[in-house]
Amino acid sequence: MEILYLLLPVSLLFVLMIAAVLWWAVFSGQYDDPEQSGHAILDDDDTPGQENDSRRD
Amino acid sequence: MAKSILAFNRTLTPEETRARRRSLVRLGLAWLAMMQVMMFALPGYLRRDSYGHDNLEVLDWAITLMNWISLVMTIPVILYAAWPVWKGTLKAIRTLHVTMDVPVSISMIAAFVPSVYATISGHGEVYFDSVTMFVAFLLTARFFEERARMSVDNARFAREMDALRTPLMARADKVAMWFIVVQLAIAGLVALYWWMVEPVFAIPVMVSLLVMSCPCALALAAPSSLAATNSTLAACPELNPEQSRALFAKTRRITSQNLYGSLVFHLITTPLAAVGLVTPWLAALAMFVSSVAVAANAWRLYRIPATRPSRSAPAMAG
Repeated sequence: MEILYLLLPVSLLFVLMIAAVLWWAVFSGQYDDPEQSGHAILDDDDTPGQENDSRRD
Repeated sequence: MAKSILAFNRTLTPEETRARRRSLVRLGLAWLAMMQVMMFALPGYLRRDSYGHDNLEVLDWAITLMNWISLVMTIPVILYAAWPVWKGTLKAIRTLHVTMDVPVSISMIAAFVPSVYATISGHGEVYFDSVTMFVAFLLTARFFEERARMSVDNARFAREMDALRTPLMARADKVAMWFIVVQLAIAGLVALYWWMVEPVFAIPVMVSLLVMSCPCALALAAPSSLAATNSTLAACPELNPEQSRALFAKTRRITSQNLYGSLVFHLITTPLAAVGLVTPWLAALAMFVSSVAVAANAWRLYRIPATRPSRSAPAMAG
């Protein structure tokens, strides 16, 4: 059972890491508009033969 | 147009975006800590005095470790996630205007302080799982209420929603305040009685009564039904006056059901806790069940009303 002395700090470390990632994700704006990414593919104007897509060579 | 439960149908100001990010982080951290603390609380629930002496020794050692790590995880929940509650309480004390934050902070202190004492002294029950659960549920309800309020940008409905919200919240605050005063008095008297009759039962009985006095269901009663109504308005902004009147009347009705339903539930469970039949973890579970029932009842409001002319509004609107 002495393994708990290792496992409990490890789980605490994991929780801290998850919290830090959550913090970063929220404050970098990833949750600001959950609809946007889903709509992006629909709103994209990909009509062929037009010069609206600068990324295409 | 907005379909995601977290989405908005308008652009938020930078100020609103920052506020929303902060409450989202608070909510996420509270849920994260709640799940961890509930996991660490499990050995405490499994403990039985009938176990062999050797087993009990190992189990108690593990429980002590788990209590310490639960304490470490509960502190950020109390200090950071529940910060809006403390701020609201300070404001309520300064302005002498009682809000829902006051009973919430009393309940948090009442469950947290004995738990810290039990952790340090090494014996007694801890209620870190109840505290974190309470904060997480409360923040969830508030987050959705805030989100729903922000997503309504129709001035007509915003004014009507304000007119609907203010009296409902005031009534919920008043009911919760009386509830907490009565519960605190009952908890004190019952603990005093047990202290004289059988001192061993005094602390567990008092803590179950205090955990049950967490006005979690009461705190959810008004915000959850208002959030559901707000979402319905946001989903169908083309409601005619008659339909919106019917919706508002239903909101008032469901809020009353929630408020008095959770009150009746507490009235039934309080005597059981007073005689020692409800252990603190059962009290926490009861609190959870009543909160879920309240939220489920409120979300009955979140229905898209039929576009055809509705049947006449019930005459309940004040």
